[in-house]
Amino acid sequence: MSITRRDFMKSTVAASAAAAVGIPISQIAKAEVAEAEKDWQWDKAVCRFCGVGCGIMCATKDGRIVATKGDPDAPVNRGLNCIKGYFNGKILYGKDRLTQPLMRMTDGKFDKQGKFAPVTWDQAFDEMEKQFRRAHGELGPAGVSIIGSGQYTVQEGYVAAKFMKAGVRSNNIDPNARHCMASAVAAFIQTFGIDEPSGNYDDIEYTDTAVLWGANMAECHPILWSRITDRKLSHPDMKLVNLSTFGNMSSSVADLEIIFKPNTDLAIQNYIAREIVHRDAVNWDFVNKHCVFATGPYDIGYGMRNTDKFAHDAEKDIQAKENAVVLDEAEAVAQRRKAGETVEQKNAGGAGKHWQISYDDFKTAVEPYTLDFVAELSKGDPDESLDDFKVKLKQLADWFIDDQRKLVSFWTMGFNQHQRGTWVNEQCYMNHLLLGKQAQPGNGAFSLTGQPSACGTAREVGTFAHRLPADMVVANPKHRERSEKLWKLPAKTINPKVGSHIVKIMRDLEDGNIKFAWVQVNNPFQATANANHWIEAARKSDNFIVCSDPYPTVSAKVADLILPSAMIFEKWGAYGNAERRTQMWREQVPPPGQARSDVWQVLEFSKRFTVKDFWGEQKLPGLKADGFEDGKLPDVIAAARDMGYSPDDNMYKVLFATPANTKVAWPDPVAKGHDNHTVVALGENWFPEKALFEEYAEFGRGHEHDLAPFDVYYRDDVRGLKWPVVDGKETPWRFNGEYDPYVPKGEKFAFYGKALKAIPKGNLDGVTDPNKTAHTDKAKIFFRPYAAPVEQPDKNYDLWYCTGRVLEHWHTGTMTRRVPELHRAVPTATLFMHPADAQSRNMQRKDVVWIESRRGKIKAVLETQGRDRMPKGYVFLPFFDEGVFANKIALDATCPISKETDYKKCAVKVYKA
Amino acid sequence: MNISGIYVLTSPDRLEECCANLAGLPGVEVHYRDVNSGKIVVTQEADNVSAEVDGLKRIKALPHIIVAEFVNHWFEEDQEMVSEIPPDLDDFEGLRHARVPDYLHK
Ligand code: SF4
Repeated sequence: MSITRRDFMKSTVAASAAAAVGIPISQIAKAEVAEAEKDWQWDKAVCRFCGVGCGIMCATKDGRIVATKGDPDAPVNRGLNCIKGYFNGKILYGKDRLTQPLMRMTDGKFDKQGKFAPVTWDQAFDEMEKQFRRAHGELGPAGVSIIGSGQYTVQEGYVAAKFMKAGVRSNNIDPNARHCMASAVAAFIQTFGIDEPSGNYDDIEYTDTAVLWGANMAECHPILWSRITDRKLSHPDMKLVNLSTFGNMSSSVADLEIIFKPNTDLAIQNYIAREIVHRDAVNWDFVNKHCVFATGPYDIGYGMRNTDKFAHDAEKDIQAKENAVVLDEAEAVAQRRKAGETVEQKNAGGAGKHWQISYDDFKTAVEPYTLDFVAELSKGDPDESLDDFKVKLKQLADWFIDDQRKLVSFWTMGFNQHQRGTWVNEQCYMNHLLLGKQAQPGNGAFSLTGQPSACGTAREVGTFAHRLPADMVVANPKHRERSEKLWKLPAKTINPKVGSHIVKIMRDLEDGNIKFAWVQVNNPFQATANANHWIEAARKSDNFIVCSDPYPTVSAKVADLILPSAMIFEKWGAYGNAERRTQMWREQVPPPGQARSDVWQVLEFSKRFTVKDFWGEQKLPGLKADGFEDGKLPDVIAAARDMGYSPDDNMYKVLFATPANTKVAWPDPVAKGHDNHTVVALGENWFPEKALFEEYAEFGRGHEHDLAPFDVYYRDDVRGLKWPVVDGKETPWRFNGEYDPYVPKGEKFAFYGKALKAIPKGNLDGVTDPNKTAHTDKAKIFFRPYAAPVEQPDKNYDLWYCTGRVLEHWHTGTMTRRVPELHRAVPTATLFMHPADAQSRNMQRKDVVWIESRRGKIKAVLETQGRDRMPKGYVFLPFFDEGVFANKIALDATCPISKETDYKKCAVKVYKA
Repeated sequence: MNISGIYVLTSPDRLEECCANLAGLPGVEVHYRDVNSGKIVVTQEADNVSAEVDGLKRIKALPHIIVAEFVNHWFEEDQEMVSEIPPDLDDFEGLRHARVPDYLHK
């Protein structure tokens, strides 16, 4: 590059940066920037990528996005963006963008073995309807499914969930968010009785201590990380601890880096609890008023199949542990049992049950977790001395316990993707609650999310197999009744049986229990562990897979029908981030070709089914619920008739284009001249995104989940609002009387969530008094023991294997790999390994190596330097790269309570290719 | 080649000292400074994105820096980085299948 060109580029970059952060720039520079931006239209929007939820400004010109930048008015990111965020505008313009439906065809007809060929939307829906009817006819509502997303807009999630739960009466809708934060959800519900964090990102600027537990924030939550490092630089007493199984970018400014062995975070947290107890540091004022002690069974399995029917030979030894395990030394100590004892996993089916225990029981339970025991068990770097490691653990406990110190714990996938994910989340609340460091500015255990609307859509809308909007669940008759009322459905329309979670949908496709799957806004065939099984299952002749996506992902390629989707700025939408902030944006540009929003796709498909297709009697194998005949959903057509529905009314009319919704007119002044291709494609004059948002918001208003009116989010002075939004005011800290309108007057704290408050009494071994007591407004302090990972390195597979993300790529790379700059920055996933491990295997940096597990083998390039530092015996492989396909060899064990897959620990061997 | 625009914030009384420190870093040039607010805009040259990220860390480590963040980037088309992909990667079973999953057509 010539010097003059380089200098020119520098001055342009500098001038636009200065303008963005509000530095006065010279008239000439200003004129240059103004000239360049002359015909641009700026509007506020939200970053497409991670759960941080940065605000961005989006510039359009002639129907194209020409620039994006960090929104200076957004409280989350204050004008900054990470490198992915910076390229938001470019993700729309990949060369291989899908612009028309594609179906596998031979001789002009659908053929499972055929090649993909372009079809019209009508042809696509015709075949889809036929296949849906075939699966539904044969297997009933349980035979069809939607694989949804934590990247759904609020409205997309809502229409998909309503179509399935209210229309089809099937609970087989589950998002990829199951892989991402289901453990966090289960722990929130069990501990507080309500989902989502009490604090918000401002905790960072209020705290003295940030502890990262299995969260590489520097790469995965870059803007929050920049807030943490800023806080550290401007507040010299701020301490930062990075607990991880390997050294990563977040260690760079950490005061303490603790490298531990997989699963021993369970032991480390109990060590801290034991220290709190022994140092007499329990905050009794807080605990007596606001908490109750609890525990549950230990023999809960590992979320694998309990039969080896589908296991390949190499998989059988691990699969067998689903039914019984032999306790190792450490587990025996940690669970107060004998080493070598065989424990049948009797509670695999009831892993979530729990009961109240006494403080004395709690003390007894944490007693074995001495510094000596825990340090020996958990030290993760063989090259570190045990004494050094002990000093670190003690320092960590000191900082936790120091009553002059505020402390925030942050975590993401390290805790959530964990065979005991719910437990390890609950342990974090255990220590924060024991110390009374929860739900106050700068004090709290804060679960971060990976996806942009894991909170706003997957969780709040309830696109899970067991959920309904606003934290309600299908298994609760009162919740069903309230939902049926709001949705204007006959009683007993909603199916009370929990549907299949995402891993089970895959297993059901393999088993033949589900024969139709519609993939929306995610890439499950690349993202689900042990992927070989599911790809084979998808290709089985009687399964029909539809994949809606803007790009040809692995999931699109294994599908039978691909539907081209509109991307974020090509539609109206809303996301909810990890601090309960709901943010909305307008359609900025039209989608290319025939690509259409996911809202349109569901609405259009729903027109093809009528009341009599779904609301007659339906078989539902395994259904057992009060008021329902076993194995059957009742006929509700007569009741529907009484409510004014005709058996021939289609689902579009019944569920979506209702009299109330069609009153919400399009065009609407809130659009300020922006378009809505969904309305145009429907040929309607109502505003689905607004009408359906308002309909959905009714579930939460007055029920601790209040959202503001739709239009408020579009006001120029609003950059998202943290729910509950009551009387126009957002709630910065929940459960805290100073900030949260739901805390009863005069109370300092109330953990007012309503779920699972009534529990029986017992001791460490089980329930002693089955009568339930309700612990209204209290949080639970759980004792949860250490448990060993189900698959560990052995002679044959001698290395730990962990998958995860890198800064430059988002998930499976569907979008970020289409941005040339990001792709070039990290073109392929490399296997990180300790140099000594490479040497002992006769391998060198940049060698191509095989990585083999019980589930198959893949190839990648070896890396022994760079941003991640592995301890000996441990390898890490990012999963974004479909060419390397990290999840093919990962184990599909899950937390038995949350059903979230543990992608962080299984055993592999590595050798030269 | 990769040029990033970086926003730096210091306290106004440290502005001169910070600018001098910044200018002393290889590849960094100070373009704008605001004496009232302590805001600074610099550009940084780096070979690739990881060098760019490392470069930012180096800026954050300077004394009296309150904020240092990327605002924007500019990339030169750079063939070097593409050729960094090992040639035999193209032979990967996975890569081939992912591109056009032949076995799925069987
Ligand atoms: S990827 Fe996350 S941190 Fe980066 S700009 Fe987007 S929301 Fe912010």
